[in-house]
Amino acid sequence: MAVRWPLISFLFTSWAVLCHAKAYGSFENTAVVRTVELGGSLVHVKTTYAVKAVEDQSSVYTVAFGQEDHSKTSFLEARISGKQTPLKIEQSFGSGSNGDPYLYSVELPKPLSKDETTKLEVEIVQTHATYPWPAEVGQEDEQALKYETDLFVLSPYKTLEQRTKIRSPSPGILSYTTPEDVQDFTFEAPVTKSGATLTYGPFKNFPSSDSQHFVEKRQQRVTVHYKYDDPVMEVTELHRSAEISHWGANLNIQDEISLTNAGPKLKGQFSRLKHQQQTFYQKPSAHIIRGIVMHLPPGIRDTYFYDLIGNVSTSRLRTAPSIPKGSLARQQSVLELRPRYPLMGGWNYSFTLGWDAPLRDSASWDSKAGRYIVAVPIMTVLPGTVVDEATVKVILPEGAIDVEVFPPFPPKSMTRSTHTTYLDTTGRPAVTFEYSQLTDRHGGVIYLSYKVPFLAHLRKPFAVATAFFALFTVALAARRVDARIHKK
Amino acid sequence: MGSYDAVQALHKTLPAFSPYIPANFLPYLAFILLTVTFILTFYFSTLPKDTLPLREMAVASTASILAGFGVVSLFCSVGVYV
Repeated sequence: MAVRWPLISFLFTSWAVLCHAKAYGSFENTAVVRTVELGGSLVHVKTTYAVKAVEDQSSVYTVAFGQEDHSKTSFLEARISGKQTPLKIEQSFGSGSNGDPYLYSVELPKPLSKDETTKLEVEIVQTHATYPWPAEVGQEDEQALKYETDLFVLSPYKTLEQRTKIRSPSPGILSYTTPEDVQDFTFEAPVTKSGATLTYGPFKNFPSSDSQHFVEKRQQRVTVHYKYDDPVMEVTELHRSAEISHWGANLNIQDEISLTNAGPKLKGQFSRLKHQQQTFYQKPSAHIIRGIVMHLPPGIRDTYFYDLIGNVSTSRLRTAPSIPKGSLARQQSVLELRPRYPLMGGWNYSFTLGWDAPLRDSASWDSKAGRYIVAVPIMTVLPGTVVDEATVKVILPEGAIDVEVFPPFPPKSMTRSTHTTYLDTTGRPAVTFEYSQLTDRHGGVIYLSYKVPFLAHLRKPFAVATAFFALFTVALAARRVDARIHKK
Repeated sequence: MGSYDAVQALHKTLPAFSPYIPANFLPYLAFILLTVTFILTFYFSTLPKDTLPLREMAVASTASILAGFGVVSLFCSVGVYV
């Protein structure tokens, strides 16, 4: 059984308290390695715990996160190193209050006996963890970001050795903090740099560190200032609506995207001349968004891309052939979008993008239960981009009843509403899911299951037929009225 | 949350959605139905004006039903998937 960590962690379970009490003192970390992959708006952190069980039947391992790092975390997954299935992970009741570190209990697939070892991988994605420094740069200057994190990896168990590796995507690390006062844990240089990797550690003989007392006394913040050669993209708002049509056997997906360049703000004026010269003669500035490449589902047709002014024709689409539902897409449709203007630091651009796809690629029919099941992807994942607020509105056919929803991870809120569009009489039921702080690991699929009675399918033709019949009745009456002015 | 995996597996094995009327047949259906509607409407306009309009009602009802299906097929074939 696999569970993904919820976005907003309001999962408090009381049995976790019991397991929490049992878990203490039953493990020991032989080695902890935290690898931080620096990025733009997203930072991926993978922590590997080499764990040895100290007591028999130890089955629940607790990981700890500091206050600051936890507040930026948006995706959390734990698995055994080398395996693919995620483990069940839940926040321990009451942790994180009063400045204490946040504790999460990970259920191991099978309990460990005394002195048995295993390797646990915990992957988190942090959003808005970097900030541009300098905060304003000219059009042709380079972009550099700063990232701050805790120096030590916290853990309720004793750690024999731990280290943190910070990897920058380009070899340009401009500066980094050298920690002081760490003689208790290491006698060598606390930080070493080799190419694009900074290594903090190894720190030996770390005691149990999940208390606020430890955090105040020993924990330090380290800051890395690095050059970043890609634009820092941020989607401030994403509104997706998926409309299901049974008559046309079609699934229409429409995205309203507000894109921001979250890099350093533009200092001075934008010079179109310099921008064109840069594009043709020199290496273009890395922090300007000139266009984005989106990988859309295969088998789509009739794509539209417009903004407030009108249709935007600077786009190129290469569609991939349709694939049967449920199968993994080996080839995706590629859409290259170029906004009307290049996005300098701090600039925004909002646009609407939509497409139609055959409904058989996403929907299935369960004849035994009389239900349709449809799969709607939450968003088109843009690599390295954070989505601050996202809503997904799934509009079901008119007359859909008994609707069941299965989101891959719990949304912030789920609302039901009625959506009225062409040829509707009573309106279509719609379910809206709200999410926040989505990362490139949140590209999941929402499943909805619903029933549509046969007569509900005929509602639309009968509505149009009624309108026509009303016209005929008016014509019938009008034929019998003599509107001549002079009787002949 | 085990039900998510269950519905995912179920969705994969079930037969794909297929409409009652195949989608590529809709444009032809729209043309045929709307042509017949047009003819019936013309015929309606030539009918005698009886006191009990049985014949007019019969023609009007058939024309309306055909028009209903014809308009829905027309919408779907031009890209407004209703």
